[in-house]
Amino acid sequence: MYKWFLAWRYLRTKMIAFFGIASVMLCVAMVLVVMSVMGGFLDTVRDRSRGLHSEIIIDNRSMQGFPYYEEFSRFIENRLPEVIRLTTPSIWTYGLFRIPATNFTVSARVQGIHLDDYVQLNDFKRGLHYERYFPGTTTFKPQGMPVVGIGENGVMTLPPDLAAANALWRSNETDAAAIEAFDRLPFERALLPRVRPFVPAERVFAVDVGEAGYRGSKRPGIIVGCDLLNIRRSDGNFDRVYARGTDVALTLIPLSPAGNPNRQPAARLALRYVDDSRSGIYEIDSMSVYVDADMLQRELAMDAQPLAGGGFTKPRVNQLLVGLHEGVDMNEAKALIADAWREFYLSLGPGLTMDDERALAMMEVSTWEDLQRPFIQAVEKEKVLVTILFSLISMVAIVLVGCIFYMIVEKKTRDIGILKAIGASGRGVAVLFVSYAGAVGVLGSILGIALGSFFVWNINDIQDFLASLDPQLRVWSPDIYSFDRIPEVVKRADAIWIGLIAVFASMVGSLIPAFVAARVWPVQALRYE
Amino acid sequence: MAMPILEARSLRKSFGSGSTQVKVLCGASLSVAPGEFVVIMGASGSGKSTMLHLLGALDTPDSGSVSYRGESVFDGSRSKQGAYRNREVGFVFQFYHLLPELNVLENVMLPALVSNSFWAWRKTRVSARQNALEMLDRVGLIDRVKHRPNELSGGEQQRVAISRALVHKPALLLADEPTGNLDATTGSGILNLLAEFSEAGQTMILVTHDASVASRADRTLTLVEGVIREAGAPTAVEHKSEPQKPEVVL
Ligand SMILES: Nc1ncnc2c1ncn2[C@@H]1O[C@H](COP(=O)(O)OP(=O)(O)O)[C@@H](O)[C@H]1O
Ligand SMILES: [Mg+2]
Repeated sequence: MYKWFLAWRYLRTKMIAFFGIASVMLCVAMVLVVMSVMGGFLDTVRDRSRGLHSEIIIDNRSMQGFPYYEEFSRFIENRLPEVIRLTTPSIWTYGLFRIPATNFTVSARVQGIHLDDYVQLNDFKRGLHYERYFPGTTTFKPQGMPVVGIGENGVMTLPPDLAAANALWRSNETDAAAIEAFDRLPFERALLPRVRPFVPAERVFAVDVGEAGYRGSKRPGIIVGCDLLNIRRSDGNFDRVYARGTDVALTLIPLSPAGNPNRQPAARLALRYVDDSRSGIYEIDSMSVYVDADMLQRELAMDAQPLAGGGFTKPRVNQLLVGLHEGVDMNEAKALIADAWREFYLSLGPGLTMDDERALAMMEVSTWEDLQRPFIQAVEKEKVLVTILFSLISMVAIVLVGCIFYMIVEKKTRDIGILKAIGASGRGVAVLFVSYAGAVGVLGSILGIALGSFFVWNINDIQDFLASLDPQLRVWSPDIYSFDRIPEVVKRADAIWIGLIAVFASMVGSLIPAFVAARVWPVQALRYE
Repeated sequence: MAMPILEARSLRKSFGSGSTQVKVLCGASLSVAPGEFVVIMGASGSGKSTMLHLLGALDTPDSGSVSYRGESVFDGSRSKQGAYRNREVGFVFQFYHLLPELNVLENVMLPALVSNSFWAWRKTRVSARQNALEMLDRVGLIDRVKHRPNELSGGEQQRVAISRALVHKPALLLADEPTGNLDATTGSGILNLLAEFSEAGQTMILVTHDASVASRADRTLTLVEGVIREAGAPTAVEHKSEPQKPEVVL
């Protein structure tokens, strides 16, 4: 009994124990923070990657794309109706993105999609900004610029369809805070269309005297990555600088089926900025714009083109995206679709043109995980590496606990002698010190988990605070880490494991001193005076 | 004489080795009867503490034996020696040797804490506490139970140490210069207390270099040149071999 009794008493009365507790606490907190942030980072990478793609992607990794996608779509939809929920083509290229009213010009990755189908494949719709507050109004169809009217009484009104859509959102939104936030700033105004705007804000509409409505010529819509056009605030939201409906010019370079720039001049498209998209991955949101796939196909001359010897080329796309039914195993589906592709390819026979033959020979069926694997694996490895590094650093805690106990044993040699003179066994004295260390470990772990969790839960606030002192201290920058927020979730299993290991490590650290204490002969200890 | 409760035979003990070896005990023998109050006298450095440590199994002899109630102490296992120290022997030291982190009551309860497991303690706690309080009452410290050792005077600390040594009602009390660190008045108070226990039948061996203490004993022995002699019978030597002062053998 004296072991537990004295271990507890030493813990309460020996100042030095607090150094042990503090060092264990700091190590536990450190490892927990690292594991939580890296783990959160990894989970976010996985989650966001999933949200970017469809389950299955069929492509040949070339910019000029591949033909026969419509035929193959129908082929697998008929062949595998239990597996395949939806297929939709996608086209991508690079272009110049320009706002004609200003000198804003950047290069952009242009993706052509069938919006209605595409949003059923992934999380794209969740990342649309105006679509959230005005559901159903984000479309690629030709449209004018929405203009907020100022009545004679000075009241501003939205065009009727936007007002109706907003009312719909309002009635369906479950997050009261979001409605409140919206009402605080219903829209910000860009004073006049085509005049350089104004107050940066979350939602920006052009404003004009008179009736609300649509102005300007009808132009197809373009959805723009949120980091491409907007200004990121430190709270992770955006200031939108351009009014919804602002004119956009997009310049593209069409390629021939062989992959050479076409002889025809670059395509110049006049579009309207209808919404912005946020995938949460900076590399994508700062680069991508989205337009209608059919329009893009035409402008890139990837649709059916007349051939010199009569007839037409086959239309081409860059990817065929496949959505699966609920519960279908992705890798099994991939294998089935790959088999179907081989069969389909063989059925095309020998009549293919050289370019088509070359394009189809390179086709690959992948899952979204295949595509993201290099990135996810890099993060996984990074997590392991960082955790190992910090665990090594935590060895310091073990050594420190060992040192502290060695000192305690030295200082307590007389007490050990007394205990032994009273009949305590060597093992008992060893247990006394090991359980003392265990208590230090338990307390240190509990405090460390508390400290680490507190730190992780508030890590973004802490960073904001540090950044307010000196911008150099902003370590988590979205352009470096892809995500705008530092992950702030602590997994219970992580915390428990780290705590247990810390307790164990503390006890290991005390083993040598405990062993020394166990071997002390009573007189050796009592002679000190 | 009745069967001795404690018997030491030809104890030899030296410290160090080689050129700095010090031979402290050179065949010391001793026999104590139940209820006896034996005083061992000797000059400072003559080996009295060493002798007492061997009797209490706080140290091992180089050769020779100690038997308690006919059973050899050093032939047993370490845990048996632990039990011997815990149950059969009470030790009182010159420097009290109380645990500074524990209060007076807890110090006196320590032997019970040591001898009981975590689970057994729940049952024995109450009686252990009761015994400790009774003991402290006997030595006149009942109103100081919550004090820490460093809040007590030397004499009071020694009373606590005596309580701790006797709380288990051990058969044998070993006291190593219990008054050595105290002034004369306080010291004689402690001696009176020990004498009281002796009169109540407690067997005790007391070591001192103070001749005045000897008058209280049933029997006085002296430790000279590494062997024990009956006081006043300097020729009654068991081992005539190499009688010598502890010395540095060059
Ligand atoms: N652990 C030890 N190492 C070396 N010498 C020791 C040790 N213990 C005792 N001695 C020596 O043994 C001799 C006897 O010591 P001790 O038994 O304490 O004498 P006393 O108690 O009679 O004063 C002394 O000379 C002392 O220096
Ligand atoms: Mg001595």
